[in-house]
Order: sequence, then C-alpha cells, then structure tokens
Amino acid sequence: MPALPLDEAGRYVAGAYVVFMLLILVYVGIMAAKLQRIERDLRELASFAEQGNGHKKAAPGREDEDGEDRAQSEPVAPGRGSEDQSISVSSGPSESRGGDG
Amino acid sequence: MYAKGLRNESTSPSPKGRNQTVMPFASGLRTLSIVTVAAFAVSLSLVFFYAPLDADQGFVQKIFYVHVPLAIVALLGFVVGGVFAIAHLRSGDSRWDAYSYVSIHMSVIFGVAVLITGSIWAKASWGHWWVWDEPTLVSFLIVFLMYATYYPFRYAIEDRERQARYASVFAITAGAFVPLNFMAVRLAESLVHPRVFATANGGLPGEMMLTFLASLAACGLLWGTLVKLELTAKSASGQLKRLRRALDAPVPGAASRVAPEVR
Repeated sequence: MPALPLDEAGRYVAGAYVVFMLLILVYVGIMAAKLQRIERDLRELASFAEQGNGHKKAAPGREDEDGEDRAQSEPVAPGRGSEDQSISVSSGPSESRGGDG
Repeated sequence: MYAKGLRNESTSPSPKGRNQTVMPFASGLRTLSIVTVAAFAVSLSLVFFYAPLDADQGFVQKIFYVHVPLAIVALLGFVVGGVFAIAHLRSGDSRWDAYSYVSIHMSVIFGVAVLITGSIWAKASWGHWWVWDEPTLVSFLIVFLMYATYYPFRYAIEDRERQARYASVFAITAGAFVPLNFMAVRLAESLVHPRVFATANGGLPGEMMLTFLASLAACGLLWGTLVKLELTAKSASGQLKRLRRALDAPVPGAASRVAPEVR
C-alpha cells in the first residue's frame, strides 16, 4: 500500500498514542482510587485506635503499666497467619522491627 | 504511621538480612516516576521531531515507536514473571509470588495497548484492523490470551498457598513459551510483517534506531514504575489489614482473594 497522506496518517498516529496514554491514565486512576480507599481505611482505623485508647484510660483498673513495651514486643496480630494467608514480607516474629530506614 | 506501614522487613534468610529494615516497594518510587516522565518526554520529542519519515510508510510509521517497544516490554515482563515464579517455588517466599503476579498483570495491560496500537497501525498500513495469516499478530494474540487465563486460573483456587504455587507453575510454563513462540515466528516464512532488525539491508537507520531505543527505555521504565506502584499499594493494603487485626478492628469487607497481598 502507498503511504497515507499526512492528514489521514496523523489521525491514526494520534489515535495510537492517545489510546496508549488513555490506558495508562485509566490504570493510574484505578490505582489512585485504591490508594484513596487505603487512606480512608487508615483514617477509620486511627480513630478506632484512639477510641480504644480512650476506653482504656477511662478504666484505670485495666490500665497496662508496660503498654509501651508490649506494643513493641508483641507487634503480631492475634490470629495472624490463621485465617488470612496473605503474602508477607516479614520473615518472622524474631526479626527486628527497629529502624525507620 | 502510614509511611511506617509501608516499610517492610527484610526477608533475607541469611544472617546478614537480620535486623535490617528495608522499604522494598515505596522507596525510590518518586524518583523512578520522574525519570520515567523525563524519558517519555525525550522519546516523544525524538519520535516527532528527530526521527526521519519512513520512505515506505510515511508518517504512519511513527506508531512503530510505541507499538514495538510496548510489545517487547510486555513479552519480557511475562518472562520476568516466570523468573519470579521460579524464585517463589525455590524459596517458598510468597513475596516472589506477588512480584510474579504484578509483573504478569502489568504485562497484560501492556499487551492490551500492543493489540490496540497494532490494530491501528495495521488499518493504516494494510487497510485491515486484523490479519489472521500474519504469524506475529496471531502469536502475540495467543500469548496474550494465554496470560488472560492466568486470572481465572488463579482466582479459582481458594487456598492462598496452593493458589500461589499453581500460579507460579503456570507463570513458569507460560514464561518459557514466550521465547519459544518468538523464535517460531522468526522462523516462519511470511515476511508481511516488517522486519526491521538484523535484516540483510542493515535494519533501521541510526536516527530511527536511537529513537526506538529511547522509546524502549521509556516503556521499560514505565513498566518498572507501574509495577513498583502496584506493589507499594499492595504492601500498604496488606499492612493495613495487619494493623486492623492487631487492633481487633471490624473488617469492612471480606478479605480479597483477587490478588496476592503484601504484608
């Protein structure tokens, strides 16, 4: 086939590049929505944790004297690894959790 | 807290890996994104302002600079997914399964772009959206459809460990098929599809080759950036679930079985 004239070829070339860009934009949009959902969940979780702390403070008999230490030495969730077998990048409970990197 | 959540501990089984905290996904994402955008700016500038017009196809040939690099990166991504799957089966570390899954996922997305841009190019050059007697097109479609079955295959298995193992076997088998398929196509007799590398006439001229390599680098960087972005999102999501369990917080929805998570 002979080469298309520039005006006609331009439409095809623009179409190809626009499709490519649109695909990337759609993907990035989906990822942005996912990150927004994570952020919203995190906010909910933060308020849940704050409420929990409030209840603990309201009940002095249940106050944990070494709560800080426990939080650091027992970071593993109860039931971890039982029902959820999600992929983990932590190599084990004995691994260091220190250092912010 | 959020930033901390993204930090993951090293999984290195060696003593060296102990007490070493790394942030494998989120670190460097911003830099990589900036580099990718810059690479695309350079490659698009080269495509439209530097590379000469093709004597045979004219302006339509500019599609080559997006179509072919995308195809190469997608196919390499499938192979990389297979290599990660080998690492998963060898080590049993489910992190490799996540790498493999995300690599294949991203390559399938790139594959969609390859098929669409290829169809547009075919219509402009050959007058048809699709040509069934062209081995390059059909073989890519076969590879693409094969990887499209990866998702239902994976999600059909409920147990996560078994799911990861079977998916790895699939990724290795399919990953080995990709280069075999490529070689088979190269050996095919039809020369309808333009052969621009290693031809008797010397292949691409210098300016075109430079532009092509810049486009290939940009597409490779884009693939890497998006893989890293998705792994970061999965890591954040996994950390969130972990935190939710630690706090005994109510779970808003059922745990996702759609994709591997990274805790």
